[in-house]
Amino acid sequence: MQLFFEQLLNGIAMGSIYALVTLGLALVYGILRILHVAHAGVYTVGAYIGLFFFQLTGSLIIAALGSMVFCAMLGVAIERFVYYPLLKYPPYVPLIGSIAVMLAIEELCRLIAGPHILTFAAKLPFPEIQLGGITISSTLMAVYCITAGVLAFLWYITSFTELGLAMRATSQDIPIADAMGINSHLIVSITFVLGSAIAAIAGILVGIYYNQVYPTMGAVPAYKTLALIVVGGLGSVPGAVIAAMLLGVAETLLIGYANIPLPRDALAFIAMIGVLMWRSEGLLGSR
Amino acid sequence: MLLDAHELHISYGDIRAVNGVSFDLQEGELVSIIGANGAGKSSILNGIMGIVPLRKGSIHFDTDEITSLATHQRAKAGIRMVPERARVFPRLTVYENLMAGAYGLRKRIKIAKQIAWLHDLFPILKERNNQPANTLSGGEQQQLSIARALISEPKLLLVDEVSMGLMPKLVDQVFEVLKQLNRDHGLSILVVEQNAMASLKISHRAYVLETGTCVHEGRASELLEDPKVKEVYLGH
Repeated sequence: MQLFFEQLLNGIAMGSIYALVTLGLALVYGILRILHVAHAGVYTVGAYIGLFFFQLTGSLIIAALGSMVFCAMLGVAIERFVYYPLLKYPPYVPLIGSIAVMLAIEELCRLIAGPHILTFAAKLPFPEIQLGGITISSTLMAVYCITAGVLAFLWYITSFTELGLAMRATSQDIPIADAMGINSHLIVSITFVLGSAIAAIAGILVGIYYNQVYPTMGAVPAYKTLALIVVGGLGSVPGAVIAAMLLGVAETLLIGYANIPLPRDALAFIAMIGVLMWRSEGLLGSR
Repeated sequence: MLLDAHELHISYGDIRAVNGVSFDLQEGELVSIIGANGAGKSSILNGIMGIVPLRKGSIHFDTDEITSLATHQRAKAGIRMVPERARVFPRLTVYENLMAGAYGLRKRIKIAKQIAWLHDLFPILKERNNQPANTLSGGEQQQLSIARALISEPKLLLVDEVSMGLMPKLVDQVFEVLKQLNRDHGLSILVVEQNAMASLKISHRAYVLETGTCVHEGRASELLEDPKVKEVYLGH
């Protein structure tokens, strides 16, 4: 039983990390209807830049802030120079552009930082908690608290601010949002800033969680997050978060605890196939 | 002159939707552009708003040239539109739709007073305040769309085919509201309409459009009497 709970806690942490990476993808799909595969590249860069600033300064706060700012700029650059000029073409054209950016980012990371795995030996400043014989490590606490904080922040922005209203209006009808005086292109850029900064946080958390940073660390998230936004309902941010949480827990429990002989990464795609067959709009999608 | 559109040309690929149409609108006027489906009426409104690009021509609004401004800048200059088929934001509530119309203006206009006035004008919106807009009927969505445009206190209101898909009784009501806004509040309105009779009745002046060119223009009362216009557009 104790192993079950420990695995459950790990699963929630896994799901939290999936949720942080998937958020940016769901936000971008919601507003531009583009599959932003390169988002996983931004996440990889986030881990590298975080590690770079951490080694330089020894401060995780500076590492996080530096990495968030850098990734926000990278995200906006991808939007302005890759997606925006391609928006007038069918959706597979920006998708091809996105895959190209993803591969370019991986190769750049390999060229600059080298092909080997770097270690990210940082201790996250969160307390360790004992709960009835189960220990919640400080890393797990950090993942929980940071994810909860990010989700609460995003929920507040989208539900209670004028910026959030503009984001939701733009995601529903870009020309009409413009006709209401909303600068939709600016709103799109702000969406990329938010999603990319969150990806930077996710990159650093994963780097510390596994104590590994390497050029292809975004490869699996790149396609797994695609499956997650389909399962959650394309364009639905809450749906994507719920799907990510469920997947994290399911992967850990079914494969780590129940020992089902399946490759771990297959689960997301089994779920996606299931959703496409029985509920094509996804968990919380409309239409 | 509040709006002066000169020699507008609009194309979609090889298809020429509007070929050199010129028109103007004085402050406080209600002007109609009438014509059959596909005559290019909606293209003209979208061109004024900047939603579709002009191939040629120029637009002056309130003495400034706005031809090269982005859509949101034109909206900020005081132009608002009621688009064809209302196009309310489907998953925003009625209240949120109104607030989207007031985007960036919360400090400049008295929102509470505007909303109270709009609720007077369209009582159904008060009842539906917290419902998502896609749960509203077609007529209610049109009312919301008009209210969303009015909340910003525009200088010029563009109204695109507001009668489309509405029951005749509702059409009369909506046109009565437009007339009221124009006569009692001095709002300048440009109406683009297939329902020529209903729009001519409330207009000062009108332009008649046929396949992308203007074939008649004049006072609405005279166009209502014109035998040719009567025959083609009013079904007499």
